Amino acid sequence: MVKVYSFEGCPWCVKVKNYLKARGVEYEVHDIELNAEDAAECQRISGDLTVPVTTIDGKNYVLGFDKKKIDELLASA
Amino acid sequence: MKEKIHKDVVIIGAGMAGLTAAMYCGRMNLDTLVLENGIIGGQIANATDIENYPGFVSVTGGELISTVQRQAENFGAVIDEFDTIEKVTLKTSPKIIETEEKIYLADAVIIASGMNRRKLPLPEEKKFAGRGVHYCELCDGHAYDGKVIAVMGGGNAAVDAANFLTKYAKKLYLIHRSEFRADEVSQKRLRGNEKVTIMLQTEIKSLRGDKRLEEVEVFDKKSGETKTLAIDGIFVNIGVEPNTKLFKDELNLTASGRIAAGEDCRTEIAGVFAAGDVREKEIRQLTTAASDGTTAALLAEKYLSKLKG
Repeated sequence: MVKVYSFEGCPWCVKVKNYLKARGVEYEVHDIELNAEDAAECQRISGDLTVPVTTIDGKNYVLGFDKKKIDELLASA
Repeated sequence: MKEKIHKDVVIIGAGMAGLTAAMYCGRMNLDTLVLENGIIGGQIANATDIENYPGFVSVTGGELISTVQRQAENFGAVIDEFDTIEKVTLKTSPKIIETEEKIYLADAVIIASGMNRRKLPLPEEKKFAGRGVHYCELCDGHAYDGKVIAVMGGGNAAVDAANFLTKYAKKLYLIHRSEFRADEVSQKRLRGNEKVTIMLQTEIKSLRGDKRLEEVEVFDKKSGETKTLAIDGIFVNIGVEPNTKLFKDELNLTASGRIAAGEDCRTEIAGVFAAGDVREKEIRQLTTAASDGTTAALLAEKYLSKLKG
């Protein structure tokens, strides 16, 4: 399952989610402001709390909105 | 082979000017497409507290722009924020906008591509971008909860960003190379916050850190003193530059890189209009962006009516 670490009101997070929706990709939203465990997991994956962070396996991730890199990440699943 | 699609109007940019133009074009039953390479809303998407847009006592940029987006879409305008524009040819009829995936043939084009934030002009910028150097308070501010933040800049955007970031920072430095240009109201709010130290006439000389930003070296131009500040994150607000690279071979640009067009938003090419901050003009506000979007849409419709006889 694709996971998007994000929070409400973050414009680039909205763009990532809209892109996944447009591609018909199902994803889980992990809100790092509402959930301390999600924040800790985001920090573990990317080493930071800057979002959006998109991942499938919790290891490889894309920081921010980068269509090409997100496509590559999805293709690798 | 890319698919060719005809449109009455293609609007480049989905900020306030572009979306207002899209709303008007949609209302006039024009087949309207808006292309956006960045985020819907543009600069305003990052604004945390807008208090000078009529009709709203206080509204976030995200709330305001999503309403305008809904208005535009309700009238039939289509917004594509994923298909990047590669090339525009404006002198032909129809005008050609080539994206990664498609070729759009447009009878009229409204350019509302806005401005991009200027990058921190230091060689270390690349090393620390996203790792202590940031350009979006709303996106990244929360990562500095309880930490030391610096904001670089002295205009309204910088001071508003600093005011917003005080909710996270345990200590905040506002660093600016000259004097404030921000509104008195915003300055007063910032000065009244005890977490804030304002450093005017101060330049940032270098950034240091191992994997992420740890220290900033600053130079006080008045005293001639150089200091090192321990800083976890710096938010850069040192102005904007017009997003006109795509048009430099097609249209007359002014010395500041903006598109030369009058208050009627008409460029030197018939059927091509420039609206919002990308147009050379004296006043660049959210309200004037909406005004430009309105003017450009109504005059585009007039142009199309004549063109189609």
